[in-house]
Amino acid sequence: MAQGLERSPIAAKLTRPVSGLMATTYRWVDERLGVTDLMHQLLYEAVPRRGAWAYSLGSATLIVIILQIVTGMFLLWTYVPSTTEAWESLNFIEHHDEFAAIVRGMHLWGAYILFIVIGLHMVRTFVSGSYKKPRELNWIIGVVLFLLVLGLGITGSMLPWDQAAYWTATVVTHVISYFPLFGTQIEEILRGGPQMGPATLTRFFAIHIWLLPALLVPMIGLHLILLRRHGEHGSWVNYEGVEEETEVERSRRMAAAEAPYPALPSDPGYAVPVDLDEFFPSQVFKDAVVSFALVLIIFVMAIVVGAPLERAANPAALNYVPTPEWFFLPLDQLLVQFPQAWMIPVGVFVVPGIGTTLLMLVPFLDRTPGREPWRRPEVMVPGLFTVLFLVFEAMLAVGRLFNL
Amino acid sequence: MPLLAAATPQLTQVPISTGVATALVALLMLTHVQFAAWQQGGYIILAVSDFVGWKRKSERYDRFSKGLVTALGATFAVGGSLAIFAVMILFLGLWAHFWIDVQRVLFWPLVAEAAAFVGEIICLYPLYARWDRLGRVRGLRVGLEVLLFINAELQMLLINMVASYMLTPRNAFNLPAIMMNPTEIPLEIHRMVGNIAWAGAIIALTAGIRLLLRSGHRPDVRPYLDWMGHYGLIYAIGFTIAQPLVGWEYAKEIQLHAYASWYDMMLGGLSVAFLFQVFLLGAIFTVGIFYLWRRVRASGFRSPALAVCTLLSFGAWMLISTPSSLAWSYESVFAANANVPIWQGGLLIPWGAMIPWKLTALVAFTGVTIVALTTYLKYVSRGKLRWGDAGRGQAISLIAVGVAVSLIMALMGFIRENSRGPFLITNHMLINQQQNYSPPSSTGPALQGPASNSGVSVILPVETHP
Repeated sequence: MAQGLERSPIAAKLTRPVSGLMATTYRWVDERLGVTDLMHQLLYEAVPRRGAWAYSLGSATLIVIILQIVTGMFLLWTYVPSTTEAWESLNFIEHHDEFAAIVRGMHLWGAYILFIVIGLHMVRTFVSGSYKKPRELNWIIGVVLFLLVLGLGITGSMLPWDQAAYWTATVVTHVISYFPLFGTQIEEILRGGPQMGPATLTRFFAIHIWLLPALLVPMIGLHLILLRRHGEHGSWVNYEGVEEETEVERSRRMAAAEAPYPALPSDPGYAVPVDLDEFFPSQVFKDAVVSFALVLIIFVMAIVVGAPLERAANPAALNYVPTPEWFFLPLDQLLVQFPQAWMIPVGVFVVPGIGTTLLMLVPFLDRTPGREPWRRPEVMVPGLFTVLFLVFEAMLAVGRLFNL
Repeated sequence: MPLLAAATPQLTQVPISTGVATALVALLMLTHVQFAAWQQGGYIILAVSDFVGWKRKSERYDRFSKGLVTALGATFAVGGSLAIFAVMILFLGLWAHFWIDVQRVLFWPLVAEAAAFVGEIICLYPLYARWDRLGRVRGLRVGLEVLLFINAELQMLLINMVASYMLTPRNAFNLPAIMMNPTEIPLEIHRMVGNIAWAGAIIALTAGIRLLLRSGHRPDVRPYLDWMGHYGLIYAIGFTIAQPLVGWEYAKEIQLHAYASWYDMMLGGLSVAFLFQVFLLGAIFTVGIFYLWRRVRASGFRSPALAVCTLLSFGAWMLISTPSSLAWSYESVFAANANVPIWQGGLLIPWGAMIPWKLTALVAFTGVTIVALTTYLKYVSRGKLRWGDAGRGQAISLIAVGVAVSLIMALMGFIRENSRGPFLITNHMLINQQQNYSPPSSTGPALQGPASNSGVSVILPVETHP
């Protein structure tokens, strides 16, 4: 146990030995499954003390993803992935199955909240320089997770097979056809033929419920394993004063730190936060409060606003103007800024591709010594402009779409 | 509208020409806009500076914040008076038709505007008068500053609805459509970013002038002025970085929804003024980057990266300042039957074209300035710059950026207001309708004019005048 880090009374109470039949049963199970060891491994670890509310964004992301999986499973009980019955099944939910309508609303609003939370989580990690050595791979995995969630968002929006879904799918698959050399082939693979049809919906359904989750779940596991391996970096505020420490003071502090600290013997100044707290119950409590609040917001929005369902897809309705989901507004606006056919690949693939690559490479591009944001202008200035760019693009897209 | 119709017959015509009235309104409004923009940008700089001073216990930021709030309080008194004078005297006296129309169409946003104006006074006065006392509860003071910024932002949002409505009006009976008219959001972002840059430029300009004065050479003053100039310039060029993108979007919306205005700005009579505007934009970037390079040099560091950035920015400046033709407007080129390149005896200069050359220059400004700013801040963040090292050249650069931003602000207002001509509200109300006013009859037919193509009803049709 780290110096000055005492087990809280709540933790002791919750993990005290029980007696009677329950104790016998617990011991029987524990001997076979090692539950106590597992609980200790999961719950007893040191975390940075300062800024702990901001660190709850990671667990909130996990909780919302779990909520998405659960609500998605419920929806599968009714939803039929065929062009003739997809809309009918959701229309049935909206008008004849109140519980399923709320679940569908939660699935939609859960997705919206997930984008916000995952975005904030990334911003927090970026600003605090948490991606630095030895956590580079965890940052890359985080970016991949973000891209997978974006993929889930776009494929999920196509499944209702209403007007919005159909025309979104039409635009998205057509835009992909601008990919150099293999664009048309990729478009045909996604559509299941040269035109939109039954195979299109089936393929996007498969991508949404099988392919992307199959990639997402193990990546989340890897993300958590690496988090435990290196410990939570937290924020620069947890390392204030380390530069003034002597080697002896630093060694003493690192030796007294509780697992998972010290991390790998790299960058010793930032290997152990100066001020530590217990994951359970301190951080778990904060995580629970934030996660509960988010789930509550999702639930309320599902009841009050619900999930929209437009008219059934009509390929003949050529005057229908599809509008993208809000999280794709910047990309949509970017597409408008490259209006000529030969420029579309630049707006759709080159600019976002370069942006994503740079985002992944941030840990290797940022060679600054410190962790404080004002001491890392090399990444903070471009990062700030990127965020401003995305916000402005989204705002401009809102104005444009409103006046269509 | 019967109430309005009944009230208006008491008005009499103001005995001055349309030109004089327009010049008076333009002069006053341009001055007011400059003040308002400074206030709005200054508030956010104040909040950021005071917060940083609080959290980092920096005397320099504290001193700066106190000086800034004093300046903002004083200029608010002048700018606010100008706004009230503009509404009470000029709009009611000289542009009554316009004012009645705007009141009718955007009544609630204007009420909210007035409320936000009162809110601004409520927030600003305690900061101005009780700065030190409020410093005992620093969180409250910073909170008040943030509130002040939100208030000013709200005011700008609301008045932008009027400004954008004048250029791209929408259905007069659909308030959300008017409020969200096609140029509202681009104008909002354009001004918000521009106002912060403008406030930064004024700070840099003040520091630059004071650095040149004899008092600016005192050892207890010079380091602070040097830092203040650098601080203002960071805002000035940092926020101007967003303008090429936002300005491009703004122009595109104007092209789509008010083509005549766009044509006038880009290819017509105002294109020369617009060319001068992009020349000023290039000057802001190039002189700003030049300052960064020389400021680093003044502290004894050679920065090849900043030197290259200055050169690239200079190249982009020259490119963007090249006219697309050797004529006043595109019509003149065709009138002279000389729409061939200059080497064939024509008037066209191909590398002065918007696409791809001016667009390339705009992209270059954005990219190069981000690199330059990042490189410069690297020196600052590592503590390599000694405040007080700035020389005469840096002071002049700061002044030049301040002057260029001031000119571009005034010129933009001139271009925007004139691009609508002869309309005051596009396709809806003419400027000369303001001076040949005659009261409508009590039955109010003048208030029920025909609908224009854009669905906006004409309020006071000219055909009723003799």
